[in-house]
Amino acid sequence: MRTRILIFFIVGLLIFFLDVAFNSDESDKDIYISDQELTSLITAWKSQVGRNPTDEEIVKIINNLVEEEILYREALSLGLDKEDRIIKRRLAQKITFLKQETLPENPNQEILEQFYNEHKERYFTKPSYSFTHLFFAQDTDSERRSIQALQDLLDDKAPIDSDPYFLGKNFTDKTIEEIARNFGNDFIVAFDHLESNQWSGPFESSFGHHLVLLRDYKDGFFPSFNTIKDQVLNDYFTQIKENAVEQYINDVKSEYRIIINPNLEF
Amino acid sequence: MKLSKSSIVIIVALGIFLIYMFGQSESSLEIVDFSMDKPEAPTTSIASNENRNPYYGDLHVHTKYSFDAYVFGITATPDDAYRYAQGEGIKHPLGYEMKLREPLDFYAVTDHGIYMGMMEAYADTSTKISQNSWAIPIHNINSPENLNDGSFATRANLFSSLIRGIIINPYPYWHPKVIRAWFTKNTALALKSFDYDVHKSAWADVARAAEEHNNPGKFTSFIGYEFTSSTNVEGGNLHRNVIFNSSKAPIRPWSRIDSINPEDLWTWMDKLRDKGVDSLAMPHNSNGSNGQMFEMETFRSYPIDTIYSEKRMRNEPVVEITQVKGTSETHPLLSPDDEWADFAIMDKRIGSRPPTYSMAPGGYVRDAYLRGLSLSWTRQGNPYKFGLIGSSDSHTGAGAYDENNYWSKVGLLDGTAEARGAVPLTAERVEMLKEYSKEYRQPLGISEEEQGTYTAPGFFDQWGASGLAVAWAEENTRDSIFKAFKRKEVFATTGTRMAVRFFAGYDMQSIDLNSESLIKEAYAKGVTMGADLMAEGTQSPDFLVWAQRDKNGTPLQRIQIIKGWIDPTSSTPYEMVYDVVCSDGLSVDPLTHRCPDNGARVDINDCSISQDVGSAELKTTWSDPDFNPEAKSFYYVRVLENPTCRWSTWDAIKAGYKPRSGLHQTIQERAWTSPIWYIPQKGDLDIIPLGGTFRTVN
Repeated sequence: MRTRILIFFIVGLLIFFLDVAFNSDESDKDIYISDQELTSLITAWKSQVGRNPTDEEIVKIINNLVEEEILYREALSLGLDKEDRIIKRRLAQKITFLKQETLPENPNQEILEQFYNEHKERYFTKPSYSFTHLFFAQDTDSERRSIQALQDLLDDKAPIDSDPYFLGKNFTDKTIEEIARNFGNDFIVAFDHLESNQWSGPFESSFGHHLVLLRDYKDGFFPSFNTIKDQVLNDYFTQIKENAVEQYINDVKSEYRIIINPNLEF
Repeated sequence: MKLSKSSIVIIVALGIFLIYMFGQSESSLEIVDFSMDKPEAPTTSIASNENRNPYYGDLHVHTKYSFDAYVFGITATPDDAYRYAQGEGIKHPLGYEMKLREPLDFYAVTDHGIYMGMMEAYADTSTKISQNSWAIPIHNINSPENLNDGSFATRANLFSSLIRGIIINPYPYWHPKVIRAWFTKNTALALKSFDYDVHKSAWADVARAAEEHNNPGKFTSFIGYEFTSSTNVEGGNLHRNVIFNSSKAPIRPWSRIDSINPEDLWTWMDKLRDKGVDSLAMPHNSNGSNGQMFEMETFRSYPIDTIYSEKRMRNEPVVEITQVKGTSETHPLLSPDDEWADFAIMDKRIGSRPPTYSMAPGGYVRDAYLRGLSLSWTRQGNPYKFGLIGSSDSHTGAGAYDENNYWSKVGLLDGTAEARGAVPLTAERVEMLKEYSKEYRQPLGISEEEQGTYTAPGFFDQWGASGLAVAWAEENTRDSIFKAFKRKEVFATTGTRMAVRFFAGYDMQSIDLNSESLIKEAYAKGVTMGADLMAEGTQSPDFLVWAQRDKNGTPLQRIQIIKGWIDPTSSTPYEMVYDVVCSDGLSVDPLTHRCPDNGARVDINDCSISQDVGSAELKTTWSDPDFNPEAKSFYYVRVLENPTCRWSTWDAIKAGYKPRSGLHQTIQERAWTSPIWYIPQKGDLDIIPLGGTFRTVN
């Protein structure tokens, strides 16, 4: 209890001196330090250090608090918040969250279908390839061996002298991205001009040379609205949320004038 | 009427007993189905490969719902995290973009169970709970004036206080919430710092995101969380991630508020399994456990018995060997003869302030495997027969796996090269650290060096760009990948996308290494990583190992097999590192078991590496030259890439400095497989070791 009285006393004194020091009677120069704020700081202090702060330390805690507040306000009055990227970004984020918060009501079938048609490309199922390949490992004269093997295949000679590939021989329904992940980016050029059921190559990958036999190609397609209705609904809501911000920006944009130096060289 | 003292006692005891039997319910066992009505992909046939594919993922990622991630300035949501895993770029709290070079196959957001979602509620001054006095230091911590790396001191301090549970603040015992807490076995309800509704909705959002992004055949996500426990006083890290195999999960995560004893976590998981919800727990950062992750006794210091061993193995089939906060394979003090042991060593207790040394024995997996053999020698079962994975533990929602594209993991605290100790500090930052030191009575964490003042060594500078979990599974579905973890057919990498196969059997030599059916035959004739190989008389087994480089990474340098065993007459543990196949056609020296230098070098000035050195793949069969059919043994594979620049070297070069002295300038990215355990035949004489128990023979 005694410390609390002491705290009030010190706080009162500080405010008094500050008031004198800044010689101000404007209310925005008042710094209110709530009981709650102060006791919480002292509690935090205790939990850190494991004992009560001494009078001297309490004065320091309060001074720090007051100084921080003063510096913060002075910084504001100097407009230091104005050109700070981090502050801007955070505030922008805050208003974004605010604008996204309102949940829209369920759309009817028509609106959903319209949404689906407008964003069809999002639901596009990519083309896929099913193929078999023969692998000739790097550092084993792979190019020459693969050319020889292709000749042998054309001449119906068996057996073909190839190496086992780490990820296997047969690949089913792989998109170009997946093929790149299994063979490296250089390899996908092979799939530009493949003819079905015909050995071609050699094509180079990150691991060696390959001959490829395309077994099946599935064209990309747009799934019908009914099969993916729930997903469309989900995406619709996400879109609404994102649009809310865009909408808001558009609404207020007209009030702004943007000036850029057209002659800036860089 | 006057009751005697003893009858009052009996009535009270009976009352308590009845309430206990019929009154208490377990809120943590209430199961919720989080599945959503999602259409099956129109092309539903998922190509399944009976020889299995390697799927790459990360099972340890935090978002804004973690109490500490929020303090670190993270605003990424679970949705952001899953988008990142599938290849989209997301924002770091310091403003730059984080993006993967190649998408991942699976991912799990594992926010801390304790206080999940609460920190955001504290910081938002409009919530009721934020009006409590202890929440005030957190108010608006991520508000504009605070969202920069200048708020380091407050953040670091808050983190330590939180992890030690200082904020926990119970209601008085007579409070209705305390009574409700007791009746529902939900201790957290009795804490003023807890709002159950906020907590549940955060958990539900984590589960929803996992469900929404799970796309069978293309991308797998798991509902999961982190059980963030540590020992009292010492602060030995006992953290585990828990993932569920289905859309069904409990209504709330079981956290350290329920119990700090991992054995209680397993009991809970066992009970959930009885209700049809399977899960697994994965310990991590054993390196920061002060030797308490893999102890020779239980949490409460009882001897380990077979019941404990089986329970641990049933719930914890895999361990995270590597992540940003260091690698826990082994330590130079534990493996003085292993030239690669001094790799990514992080020797501080997790969350300790000031940074406090963590003892090595009991904290590293190779040591744990040997301890497991010793425990089974004394017939206590083997609780340390786990497989290996890597993960990042990123708190930004986005794992940093590349040395030259590294943001560490705790957001504002280590998001810049100077904060991580790779380049000298600015004068302003030095002042800040001095203030922090004074204000919080911490050692002054700076170090004067040739190029300037750095953060003191031994903290963020010990962290690294690691790691990934890789599962050998038939297809990219939750079920298939989860099963791979259960049977330990998994391996860990330090972030590289290399891949490795490992088999053992008695007829491996008969397999033609150049045959297309190599893998099929290997599955048929032997066992693979994570399995037991039973003795066949006194026959010596053969091992088949095959590794493929990361197509966008660095070529391979060598494959090693690491063997550990205990002597069958003395039980002394031993370990040995064998190089088994070398790059560039070089051969292993049979006396030293080492490959010759392949000549791969790194230019420290620009991080360029030797061209045309190293191999795209390495493959061999190997037999153990020192095989003893009577010795309980384990074998695991370590694959090494050619050396490359460490992240700290990249950071220094990009900022125009020389690499900081005292840090490793290069690293060798690597992968570790789960071991294969060799189980000797039981001898004619049933030896009963001194001090051993008679209960079960293992």
